[in-house]
Amino acid sequence: MNTLDFPQLASVEAIQSGFESYGYICSKKIATAVFLAFQLRKPILVEGPPGVGKTELAKTTAEMLALPLIRLQCYEGLDEAKALYEWKYGKQLLYTQVLKEKLGDLLQGAQGLAESIERLHQFGDIFYSEDFLEPRPLLKAMQEDEGAILLIDEIDKSDYEFESLLLEILSDYQISIPEIGTIKARTAPMVFLTSNNTRDISDALKRRCLHLYIPFPTVELEERIVLSRVPDVDAQLRHQLVDFVHSVRDLDLKKTPAISETIDWARSLLLLHADHLDEELVRSSLNVLLKFEDDIETAEAELRVLVKHAVES
Amino acid sequence: MQSNLVSFIQVLRSHDVRVSPAETLDAMTVAKALGYADRTLLRDGLGMTLAKTPEEEVVFNRCFDQFFQQSLSDFELNESTNDGAQGDSDGEDDSSEANPSEAGENAQGDSESLLEQAAAESEQIQELMQSDLMQNLVQNNRTELTMAIGKAAQDANLQQIKMFTQKGQFTRKMLDAMGEEQLRAAIIDLERQDSPALAELQRYRDLLREQVRDYVDREYLLNAEGQNKQFMEDILSKTRLSNIEHTYLHRVHELVQKMARKLAARYSRKRIRTRRGQLHMAKTLRRGVASDGVLFHTYWRKTNKDKPQVLAVCDVSGSVAAYAKFLLMFLYAVQDVLPRVRSFAFSSHLGEVSHLFDEHPVDKAIELVNWQYGGATDYGGSLMDFANLALDDINSSTTVIILGDARNNRGDPKLEIMQSIYQRAKQVIWLNPESRRAWGSGDSEMLRYQSACHFTAECNNLKQLERIVDQLLKSTR
Repeated sequence: MNTLDFPQLASVEAIQSGFESYGYICSKKIATAVFLAFQLRKPILVEGPPGVGKTELAKTTAEMLALPLIRLQCYEGLDEAKALYEWKYGKQLLYTQVLKEKLGDLLQGAQGLAESIERLHQFGDIFYSEDFLEPRPLLKAMQEDEGAILLIDEIDKSDYEFESLLLEILSDYQISIPEIGTIKARTAPMVFLTSNNTRDISDALKRRCLHLYIPFPTVELEERIVLSRVPDVDAQLRHQLVDFVHSVRDLDLKKTPAISETIDWARSLLLLHADHLDEELVRSSLNVLLKFEDDIETAEAELRVLVKHAVES
Repeated sequence: MQSNLVSFIQVLRSHDVRVSPAETLDAMTVAKALGYADRTLLRDGLGMTLAKTPEEEVVFNRCFDQFFQQSLSDFELNESTNDGAQGDSDGEDDSSEANPSEAGENAQGDSESLLEQAAAESEQIQELMQSDLMQNLVQNNRTELTMAIGKAAQDANLQQIKMFTQKGQFTRKMLDAMGEEQLRAAIIDLERQDSPALAELQRYRDLLREQVRDYVDREYLLNAEGQNKQFMEDILSKTRLSNIEHTYLHRVHELVQKMARKLAARYSRKRIRTRRGQLHMAKTLRRGVASDGVLFHTYWRKTNKDKPQVLAVCDVSGSVAAYAKFLLMFLYAVQDVLPRVRSFAFSSHLGEVSHLFDEHPVDKAIELVNWQYGGATDYGGSLMDFANLALDDINSSTTVIILGDARNNRGDPKLEIMQSIYQRAKQVIWLNPESRRAWGSGDSEMLRYQSACHFTAECNNLKQLERIVDQLLKSTR
């Protein structure tokens, strides 16, 4: 297996600043995880609440290293045929029809059934060769010569059986296909698995991964993220809105606003030409931040205090 | 450092973080890749390989700080005690670290001269002054001293410490291993002579003892805490539930949660909802149209499996209430994997209490149940109530668990109701907190009820309870 050398991944600091130049502001811990994943050739299991940038981490890594990003979205009922490989049945069928006459020529002069079969055997398993193999995301990631970033998104949505399927791929970077044999990756892909923690991932899978938990960011970090994503927002407003979002997160909500919501909100405030927060403004744009009617009601009840706190901080 | 890492992983294991040998190897590679210079970096990196859940990460961070604090705080402690005791020689401590022999002469000039005097007078003291231990103490050579303490700890097998009563014993062992005996003998000698160097030597001895004691304390916290907890849990899970003292109840609660988590993890596989039935020819043919009539994809009929249901019927009269509490706690703790528990409580009469568990947290609900259904037991009447309430819902996928001592105060046992439940249900389990020998004695109807149960068991401690819930989960798959 080839090993690639990326100067971008030489040290934790290099990764952190590299990500920053692609607009992904991350904590040192995240950079450490990427560094280790590269050094140890291990997949990273990224956990955390929705919207903290789990998927974005994989995307940014792919962008930074200029490698193709191969994404596998997990869902209930995902199976081998959709994740690993499938035989091109149509093509197989078509070829058998087309080659029917050729078969006649081939078998001409053969004495009896035994000899015919003997002759056929000389051709091997033509229909079960790599030409008839339809690679799905996991196999595709193994076949990339230059390496790839493989993102297995929302692994917790998949079935329990699918996790076992991943074990061989994640520890040895190879796939066994009964008809062909074992296909080993020429260059091990860098693997990111994300999970929203809707169910526990099995120990066997966890053991093969580095475990990275991304929590909601601190106020400073989130301000920097907003700055990099929505640079036009006024500094004062930026501070106020991030502070406001942080106090909203402390409320008892169905769906806590994530970083993506903060960015959306910052964008919409920009469109409204706001330069500071006030109650009326927040009330009218709260639906960008909160996605449930109940949550909006909860936040509205506390609105005065929250806005006051954000403005004064 | 490698052995350090291994003993750190030992500590983690004793704090309930599961670390496999493969992960140990990973941790070594991580440490090599990151280096030991940046503490937080190392902690984050090790955390990613060793801690697998956010809860474990909290434990990991605490252990990491405690474990790798050691050598650092040794220096600080040494410094502060020195500062306090020496008074005039502070400020030079920093330089003495850089160049111990030279600075030591300056800083401890006074004390050393006293000791030198004493040494000149007595051969014993002179010998003492030349020992490694004394040299390190006098020259304030902390690195050497820390290493000596560490080695003594290893010689004394300090990691085996289990009880706090062993602290003194281990401290003594370690001091002996470091050669403190010589120092002690010298002090006795000086005391006899009433020498001016006595105070000086005593100060060194106290300093040393303090260091060693601190070291033992920390080591005890690290190693014994987890083991003690384990020990405690072992005992608790084997004690009769009614005998557990009130002060330990919260621990039992934690233990039940832990056991329940373990069971839930074991059975967390999704239940198969359907069974494959016969081949559906029509649909298979229709699918084959796409491939020119070749039947690539078969279609099978599905038959739905019935959802299992558990009915828990608990006696909450005074004698059995404690057991009912734990059974309910257990059943509701595994609710993620055990679908649809309906609970009933009775003593003089019976009622369904499921709604209490829906509305309140388990502890609170149990309290409410006890309060609503206390009183003298009447099994016959309660069984009648149960039949009225739930007999129609019992079918071949229902498991009925009855918890009670079957002591009916000589009333009518209404065995025929039990028999009709027995005939309808998938299984009837009777859990009795009394020991098997007492069944059927006095007013106990257990032997008669037993004839209408698929399975009866003695159930009076957590171990037995866990086994029964385990069996229950297995059978409801």
